[in-house]
Amino acid sequence: MPTRDTREHEEEAAKSLRSFASLRMTKFFFFAALALLVSFLTGREFLSMRADDVILPGPGLTAARALSDYFPALKNTPGDTPVYVFAGDREGGHMLITGGAHPNEPAGYVTSVVLAENIRVARGKVVIIPRANASGFTHSDPQEGSPQRFPIATARGERWFRLGSRVTNPVHQWPDPTIYVNPKGQTLAGIEARNLNRAYPGKAGGNLTEKVAYGIMALIAAERIDIGVDLHESAPEYPVINAIVFHENSADIAATAQMELQAEGLEFRLEASPPNLRGLSHREWGDAAGIRAVLLETPNASHGRLKGKPTVSLILDGRDKYYEKAARLGRLFVPFGPAGIPLKDRVVRHLAGLKAILTALGEVDPEKAMEVESLPPASRVGTEGIGAFLR
Amino acid sequence: MRYIYHLIVLYLTVHFLWLLFREKKFWKQAGIVLVLIMFLLRLFLVE
Repeated sequence: MPTRDTREHEEEAAKSLRSFASLRMTKFFFFAALALLVSFLTGREFLSMRADDVILPGPGLTAARALSDYFPALKNTPGDTPVYVFAGDREGGHMLITGGAHPNEPAGYVTSVVLAENIRVARGKVVIIPRANASGFTHSDPQEGSPQRFPIATARGERWFRLGSRVTNPVHQWPDPTIYVNPKGQTLAGIEARNLNRAYPGKAGGNLTEKVAYGIMALIAAERIDIGVDLHESAPEYPVINAIVFHENSADIAATAQMELQAEGLEFRLEASPPNLRGLSHREWGDAAGIRAVLLETPNASHGRLKGKPTVSLILDGRDKYYEKAARLGRLFVPFGPAGIPLKDRVVRHLAGLKAILTALGEVDPEKAMEVESLPPASRVGTEGIGAFLR
Repeated sequence: MRYIYHLIVLYLTVHFLWLLFREKKFWKQAGIVLVLIMFLLRLFLVE
């Protein structure tokens, strides 16, 4: 029979055990709740990358379509993307403008949004695809630490734009092959299987990126496009920069546009599209679709290899001390001073380049002349900022 | 294939929860939480 001391000892031990179990349960639920909370917050932030930016086309819009209207296999896929058509009353040239083929090149994307929100076409037709590789906008380049989005101040507050990745989201197209052979037989590194600007003219039964490229080719045929302009950016250490890259069928337009830009004080170099570099817009739009094709490049420090910390400021202001140093050492192909190369200046270059190409098209081929009204003047974008031309 | 993948993730998530319950040291529990978050995100199809 247990003594009184033993009973007390057992009761104390049981109490201590209950207290320990209770503490353990409390700690367990605390940590489990913490894990759930962090998962929820980070998951929500991560998934917000998949929300589309708002684009508000201006009154000049005549039809809002989707790329899947031209190639139905893209319907309900991450490759489908809005297409804005601005048609004039009078016959003229038909121009395709693509931004966001590489979603980590913000000037091309923002320029196409500015155009979609402002232009009115009196003669001819302009078709704009602001997010050519829509899937690339749903993620960021891994290990780059890039901001997910950047703001542009407008009269009604800030508008936010996604900074995506150069390539299609691997969640949408996986796995990459070890070696990618593109639709024209060019051998490339595996990751290029997700690069829209290596996938032209696309394949109806190919991977998602090739289907998007095929859809754009179908659009070119359906809209009877005469000239395509692909808006891009490249790193300041890359030689093809501040350039008009042209298919040989567009040499006259590129040269005329370059002279016009020089007269305005904007230096653009001319780069002929290499015939043996296959799968790019400026090559395959010309070869496979038979249209005139040019590509505009501006310098973007935020996706160069020499950059310092990738920040929103680097995207918007384009200032970077490492690029400054590289410029002093003569390692860059563009001047790069303490003022950097702001997004505004890069958009100005794209707008000026587009205007010069429009003018050149009318001079070289008067039947295909176009009249585009409300084209934001590059000089005013330079002084008033991009936000003044966003709705 | 997707179901098999999620079964594996679910198994590992439960395993980490069990480790979290058994562990007594605070910082080790915090470490388990860091790993658990990745598995929870996968489990909730955040990919």
